Amino acid sequence: MGKKIRVLVAKPGLDGHDRGALVISQALRDHGMEVIYTGLRQSPLQIAQAAIQEDVDVIGLSSLSGAHKTLFPKVIEELEKRNASDIPVVGGGVIPSEDIPYLLEKGVKKIFTSGSSTDLLANYIQELIDPKTEPITPPKKVAHIGIAVESIDHSIPFYTDSLGLPLEAVEEVESEGVKVAFIKIGETRFELLEPLNEESPIRKFLNKNGEGIHHVALEVDDIQSRIEYLKTSGIQLINDKAKPGAHNSKVAFIHPKAAGRVLFELCEYPEEGGEA
Amino acid sequence: MKQYEQDSTAKERWEKSVSKAIERFPERKQTFTTSSGIEVERLYESKEADTSETLGYPGEYPYTRGIQPTMYRSRFWTMRQYAGFGSAKETNKRFRYLLEQGQTGLSVAFDLPTQIGYDSDDAMSEGEVGKVGVAIDTLQDMEHLLDGIPLDKVSTSMTINAPASVLLCMYLAVGEKQGVPFEKITGTIQNDILKEYIARGTYIFPPKPSMRLITNIFEFCNQHVPKFNTISISGYHIREAGSNAVQEAAFTIANGMAYVDAAIESGLEVDDFAPRLAFFFNAHNNFFEEVAKFRAARRIWAKIMREHYGANNPKSWKLRFHTQTGGSTLTAQQPDNNIVRVTLQALAAVMGGTQSLHTNSRDEALSLPTEDSARIALRTQQIIAHESGVADTIDPLAGSYYVEKLTDEIESQVNRYLERIKEIGGAVQAVEEGYMQREIQQNAYEIQKNIESQDEIIVGLNKFELEEEVEPDLLRVDETLEKEQIDTLQAIRNKRDNEKVKEALTALKETAKDEKANLMPYILDAVRAYASVGEICNVLREEFGEYTGV
Repeated sequence: MGKKIRVLVAKPGLDGHDRGALVISQALRDHGMEVIYTGLRQSPLQIAQAAIQEDVDVIGLSSLSGAHKTLFPKVIEELEKRNASDIPVVGGGVIPSEDIPYLLEKGVKKIFTSGSSTDLLANYIQELIDPKTEPITPPKKVAHIGIAVESIDHSIPFYTDSLGLPLEAVEEVESEGVKVAFIKIGETRFELLEPLNEESPIRKFLNKNGEGIHHVALEVDDIQSRIEYLKTSGIQLINDKAKPGAHNSKVAFIHPKAAGRVLFELCEYPEEGGEA
Repeated sequence: MKQYEQDSTAKERWEKSVSKAIERFPERKQTFTTSSGIEVERLYESKEADTSETLGYPGEYPYTRGIQPTMYRSRFWTMRQYAGFGSAKETNKRFRYLLEQGQTGLSVAFDLPTQIGYDSDDAMSEGEVGKVGVAIDTLQDMEHLLDGIPLDKVSTSMTINAPASVLLCMYLAVGEKQGVPFEKITGTIQNDILKEYIARGTYIFPPKPSMRLITNIFEFCNQHVPKFNTISISGYHIREAGSNAVQEAAFTIANGMAYVDAAIESGLEVDDFAPRLAFFFNAHNNFFEEVAKFRAARRIWAKIMREHYGANNPKSWKLRFHTQTGGSTLTAQQPDNNIVRVTLQALAAVMGGTQSLHTNSRDEALSLPTEDSARIALRTQQIIAHESGVADTIDPLAGSYYVEKLTDEIESQVNRYLERIKEIGGAVQAVEEGYMQREIQQNAYEIQKNIESQDEIIVGLNKFELEEEVEPDLLRVDETLEKEQIDTLQAIRNKRDNEKVKEALTALKETAKDEKANLMPYILDAVRAYASVGEICNVLREEFGEYTGV
């Protein structure tokens, strides 16, 4: 803490395009890091040696010539040979997405491709080296699956009669303009959502998509710090602050853009009972 | 009234030069018309405008309106797509394909080891062989590259800088084998080392010996290869490295002046080499600014050559240029959108009066272009040429209040930069001090911040994004190529007359010590003996040392 993060920005290989490397160096400096830029045409050995001599916390490799598959793993090998594999390596440049799994498997921590924001990179390095937030435990379970319906009365018989699931409760949530039916299944629930008025988000969803799965809710601990964590990892959220939900819960939604078009809800329940 | 008379005589003079030009290059059509049948005149002009000093007629000093009297009414620009990947044989196939598709000139991309003077089996070359262009080790690779392509009929542009002398000699040697004399060889080498220090990074030697190699080429070609463009002074990479349009024009022209200075200092007459100087610019998205940049650059260069250097041959005053659309403006996201960007940029280059044009492929932000993408890129130019009608009259944007104002403004801002560089002591000094590098880097950082703050919108990147991205088919270079290339090279080393190679390299080394001597004949001899690019450059490295950055 308080000590500046030291970053080695390096250009392995013969490629002379260092605009990205230079812009990133300057951006990381603006984020309060110390950046050492190696200059062009560094061999993997030279990069590893420089990283050790300069006592850096992280190495950023940039390549645009297509030689990343050869050179990035070589840098990691050279670090290993010198017992310095604790220095994490991240990479960027023109890197086709199908090469990313190979590079990750070879020990590169993360690849930032063309179009990544410098803030995202800086936050990533910050979290990697000097996490501001505690490590986060994964969500406990699927709290419920939200399903948008035109009419709860019409939809319920499928769940209760055809599937034989127990209906727990039906309630109206005025603030969201919805009527909700809870149907228990094992440790989780279906939540049928019927719009109460034209302004209801569920009404809009139905107009656009028709009936169907609307969101998936994940039960979490300490929702607010998880929101902060997601924000610094570059995940876009619909709610920056948790808001009150049903059953004294606190809820927030993740933007579907960040999650492959699935709307995820995070919810935290008070100690006693929860939704289970 | 007097002004008007001057203009009318100027116009008569231009009309005479049009008649002469048409004799050599007839116009594409008897009459040009719009789609409604309205006749399109060769040139439109304002009676009031003072055309003599700022605009001039097309083909006349100061060439604001273009360097030829009829421009694209006679011949379109040369459509020249940069290509080269993997082995010489594969690239040869792509060349033949492009020529069949109606491309009119070749353009060769070399891999990084070739560009930096390393053989494919050098330790420094690992992972880079054949990656961003074709790998050339010896004359044999060049023979394969140009197999079946008549060098007296096709002009070839080679993107090669630090070892330009070596690759030019290889090209000439292939010509010899085809029975084509040096005088008939046409084409261009990039040969612009200053922008390598500034922006592109494929330098080998320090500035001074590098400048010597360049003037050696000027002199040799003036005597033996008179139709070859000996340098392509490049703003392209300066722009790609993050400069703005004014900086691109200014630093390029400053570099151009440094080459002229070096050649004059080595004892050449300005009119002996200046007509063979060519330029290479970028075309980005800000349409009118780009058009104005091209027009301003022509005017500035003409004035410098005539007034500052006292060149007498009008050919020395003309800024001839190749344009490539902006690689850094392309996005990996929604790559098909890049076709539209390239169209706008290509149109700006044509409106700006380019002599030749490379249009980028949509998938270049992802990897090397596929054949489909390369074809669409070429078709884009063909559609502009044959369907849009923009090439039917000369310099159609002249007289636009906005374009003329922008042209003037860019000229004066470029001149301010040229003053600043002169104060520093010229472009070579400015490069060594890192002045241009810093200016460009600062601008690149500003651009990045503006994109991240959304002050600048890039469609599909920071606005109008799509949630799912489809990866198009990508061209991958075969990983076994490196080994094959190394095997071929080693086979030649065993096969060739190594005594002869040794002799040639020794002679080259000795000559390199004499600063006044021209190295070209010695490089040519080494190349003919199948000495490799790496062997030749290593000999020169021993004498000249290596550049290590600012």
